[in-house]
Amino acid sequence: MTEKQKGHPFLEVLATSIHEDFRFPILEIFAFLYAISTFALLGIGGGFTVTFARNEEAATYQLVNIQMGTPLFIFLILIFKNVVYGFGSEFEKGTIQTLLSYPLKRRMILTAKLLSALGVSLVMFLGIQFFALYIMAPQTISANLSTVIISYLSSLSYPLFLTAILLLVAMRVRKGGLALVLGIVLYFALSVFTGILTALSITTRNSFPLKVIAVLNPSLATQFHYSPLSSLLGETIWNPDFNEVLMYIFGGYCLVFAAFLIAYYYFSRRLNL
Amino acid sequence: MELIVAEDLAKRYGKVVAVDGLNLKVEKGTILGLIGPNGAGKTTTIKIILGLLRPDRGKVSVFGEDPWDNPEIRRDIGIIYEKAYFPSHHKVLDYMQRTCRIFGVPESRAREVLELVGLNAYDREIKGLSAGMLQKFAIAHALIHEPKLIIADEPASNLDPESRSNLLDLILKLHKEKDVTFLISSHILPELSRVCDSVAIINNGKVLASGLLTELFDKYSAKTVRVTTNKPEVFADELRKLPYVERMTIDSRGVSIITAEGTESNIYEDAPRIAKKIGAVIMGIELGTASLEQLYYKVVREGGEK
Repeated sequence: MTEKQKGHPFLEVLATSIHEDFRFPILEIFAFLYAISTFALLGIGGGFTVTFARNEEAATYQLVNIQMGTPLFIFLILIFKNVVYGFGSEFEKGTIQTLLSYPLKRRMILTAKLLSALGVSLVMFLGIQFFALYIMAPQTISANLSTVIISYLSSLSYPLFLTAILLLVAMRVRKGGLALVLGIVLYFALSVFTGILTALSITTRNSFPLKVIAVLNPSLATQFHYSPLSSLLGETIWNPDFNEVLMYIFGGYCLVFAAFLIAYYYFSRRLNL
Repeated sequence: MELIVAEDLAKRYGKVVAVDGLNLKVEKGTILGLIGPNGAGKTTTIKIILGLLRPDRGKVSVFGEDPWDNPEIRRDIGIIYEKAYFPSHHKVLDYMQRTCRIFGVPESRAREVLELVGLNAYDREIKGLSAGMLQKFAIAHALIHEPKLIIADEPASNLDPESRSNLLDLILKLHKEKDVTFLISSHILPELSRVCDSVAIINNGKVLASGLLTELFDKYSAKTVRVTTNKPEVFADELRKLPYVERMTIDSRGVSIITAEGTESNIYEDAPRIAKKIGAVIMGIELGTASLEQLYYKVVREGGEK
């Protein structure tokens, strides 16, 4: 009988997932090139100009927002690719059965898959962002670190919530392609819904619709804190204060936590294969 | 000692009842064959035993534990699924070595098991394996941690005849040398009968009969009468007219007949009469034990435990 030790099932499942998720790192290379282009522009004197900011905090927020734009979208695409399509395909291909033949609890298998699909992308996204910001405007960033953190926290809440919801969708439909299509439809539907509610707020001069959406997407609250929403006549419709912004961020992450809890519960206790 | 105990299992998929009040026990040190027609509930039963499906009713224990809640028992279980699924972009040896690290066995074991199953495409990606090679890979994967119990759902599918024979030899070897217990689901009854010492015959989600093969043959009076003749086809046509003949297998040298219980001796009276009628020569009449296939048909037809 061969001598047996406990083994490292979690680490090996994580390594396998990373190997499968990132074997064609095209989007990751694109994100890296985008970051490099930022430094190249800085090198030839391009830089970023932040105008019409009310104060230094608002200017910092604008700088972070501009820097975050395309990479955040790429991050969202990575989530769709790795979590929605990747995880959904595990069910379609049947490899999830093989994972369940290992001495590893279901929730640990899900954790390994999420660390690979979401965690690596998140670390890469945040790493590139903070590094780029410190290269571009180190003094501004250092002096307004809380604004930077609040900006990223509020912007990441919605993608993380979407991830949890689409994870559940992928587990239910068990097809990578279908889960991906549903994810794209959901994303655009919510974007359109946000646009409609914003227009409604402006036309009715009522901030309530925006407050509803801000629970789901706290970056709206952050945006209107630093750059208040005004009507066509210049009347302020919504300008949440800092504590309100924190509440929306807290509420947003409560939703994220609840959604992931449901996903974990479903995978660990309810999912039949 | 019972390694697997399933009590009153029930599982439904919408309106379809897959398993309905199934009871099954697998004793340590046995090779139990799980046989039944398509849709009988074999794969559903195996998935419940493996903790992939929750039953709607009943309970199952493997090594005394609930397979859903206790993944540690998988250290002693090797699983061969009907269709093998592995991450396709890993190389064969790399993935086997990874599996060694998962189970905490030395990485040298990877080559050992691959040689055991006759798969030497170490540097090929898993997606580049043929169906037969993939099945061998799955078998090696199931053996890598020297499990005490192996659960296999159609393990010989996609294997060529030589590989199938090698697999059966391997099962017998592991059983004899390492006292490994097997639960094997298969349609290929002649091969199952070569390795199994006990069977569970399942239909419509229930176990109709289970136990040692020898006991079941006695219980169901599964005997055959073998008539060796020079005109087996014509002889069989006449035999079909007899009311007590239940089933026949015709080959080039004669006919094997399963009769209703207690009527085997009637053949000794009727066979000479039929031979005289059709001008055939009877070279011999023998009474023997039925094959597993014949036992299976008899049990399914009679519909359950006696």
